[in-house]
Amino acid sequence: MAVCVAVIGKDNSPKYIKCVDETNALQFHYKVHTSIDIVEEKLNIGTKTVADNKELFLGMLYSTEEYKIFGYATNTKIKFIIVLQSSNATLRDNEVRMMFRKLHIAYANVVSDPFYIPGDQIKSRAFDSAVSEIMS
Amino acid sequence: MKHQFVDGKSVPGAKAEADECLFEYLHGEIINYVVSKSKESSEEDLSQLEWMGFSVGYRIIERLTREMQRFKDELDIIKFICTDFWNSLYHKQVDNLRTNHHGVYVLHDNEFRLLAKIGKAGSRQYLCESPRLLAFTCGLLRGSLANLGVACTVKAEVTALPSCKFNVEVQRM
Amino acid sequence: MSRNVIKLDAKKVNSELFTLTYGALVSQLLKDYENVEDVNKQLERMGYNMGIRLIEDFLARTGSGRCYDFKDTAEKIQSGFKIFLGITPSITNWSVAGDEFSLCFETNPMSEFVELPDHCLSLKYCNLLPGVLRGACEMVQMEIASWFVQDQLKNDGVTELRVKFIKRLEDAIPAGED
Repeated sequence: MAVCVAVIGKDNSPKYIKCVDETNALQFHYKVHTSIDIVEEKLNIGTKTVADNKELFLGMLYSTEEYKIFGYATNTKIKFIIVLQSSNATLRDNEVRMMFRKLHIAYANVVSDPFYIPGDQIKSRAFDSAVSEIMS
Repeated sequence: MKHQFVDGKSVPGAKAEADECLFEYLHGEIINYVVSKSKESSEEDLSQLEWMGFSVGYRIIERLTREMQRFKDELDIIKFICTDFWNSLYHKQVDNLRTNHHGVYVLHDNEFRLLAKIGKAGSRQYLCESPRLLAFTCGLLRGSLANLGVACTVKAEVTALPSCKFNVEVQRM
Repeated sequence: MSRNVIKLDAKKVNSELFTLTYGALVSQLLKDYENVEDVNKQLERMGYNMGIRLIEDFLARTGSGRCYDFKDTAEKIQSGFKIFLGITPSITNWSVAGDEFSLCFETNPMSEFVELPDHCLSLKYCNLLPGVLRGACEMVQMEIASWFVQDQLKNDGVTELRVKFIKRLEDAIPAGED
């Protein structure tokens, strides 16, 4: 379903990017980078004024003709980005939330691996397979 | 200091689960290991205990806050630590929270789980042992808060067992 | 205090606390010792010390008496895993003489999140467990040996822990081990 999944660290650098179509990877890397700023914006609004922006799921960040880009930020300031095809019109909000939920569980498991140093690039078989599930 | 009271309800008579003694015995072994290793030096070095606690706190908080709404501010985070966090780890809430509203928080637990077994209330006998028993938890707190974006130092203080205070001092940038 | 709808499950949190603390210990030991074999030994030793304490909790909880044979011991060890780790390893591969069996684990909360890096392939990550069994059995006057023969962390299908009866000990107070 998803065509690109990314994890962005506290320092706003990508810790993990996976695309369905690796030949088009550059295009998606660019999209991910663009969305980081939008996530930051949303989070800053949340802390200052708007009280009801308490959800970790940030909704759609932006869309193009071809793609819709969704965002999510954990309490520990880790951002997840998921890119979906716009043509996938039947996709419901709940399904997108479910993808982020799976991603967050998988991420929390990576962090729980004593051999993973938080902040490093994510290189985990378990995480890879969770991401493939989201993309299939 | 202004006072902020946290409702310190504990569940009396709640029987400790079997798997809980696993952690307690492991914690005991880790203390023995670190203490025996630092024997050569003149001053006891508990920094490794603190560091292991930090690592555990940093990781576990990712799991504990996974289904939680976004925290509003620093005080909101500290309140969570005093209630749900403490409750799930130590079977009770922090009894009392004080703050000067300038980044200093004092968490007071009248009957801290990891101290409960070593001495009766008011006992001074094991007071010298208590820094060993608290170093891991200081690290756990520091690690948890660090991952939530609150950089701080945490020091523990015991006056009469099994009661203790954790002093959290937030580092302002 | 109503901001969070979901309450944390204390039982689950405590199990995760144990798992993560164990992970932090293993990482520390890997830093402290040059030789991975020494890490395995240290974990076993710590397990032994925990075992001699855990047996008291086990007996208090189950009220079980003496084992009348080694099959009985195997079942009690199995129920110990259920009580303390919430898992039930299967008892298999009995030796003909009935003095050796295996515990096979499909899952193990201790190593649930672990992915062994290539430089740690000789690490027996869960080597605390054979130590726990050795310590616990010694307190009930039984000398056993225990070791891993398969490990899921090394891509084996299951994790298999072998347990071998050595001898009955006299009813003397066993010497502690540091």
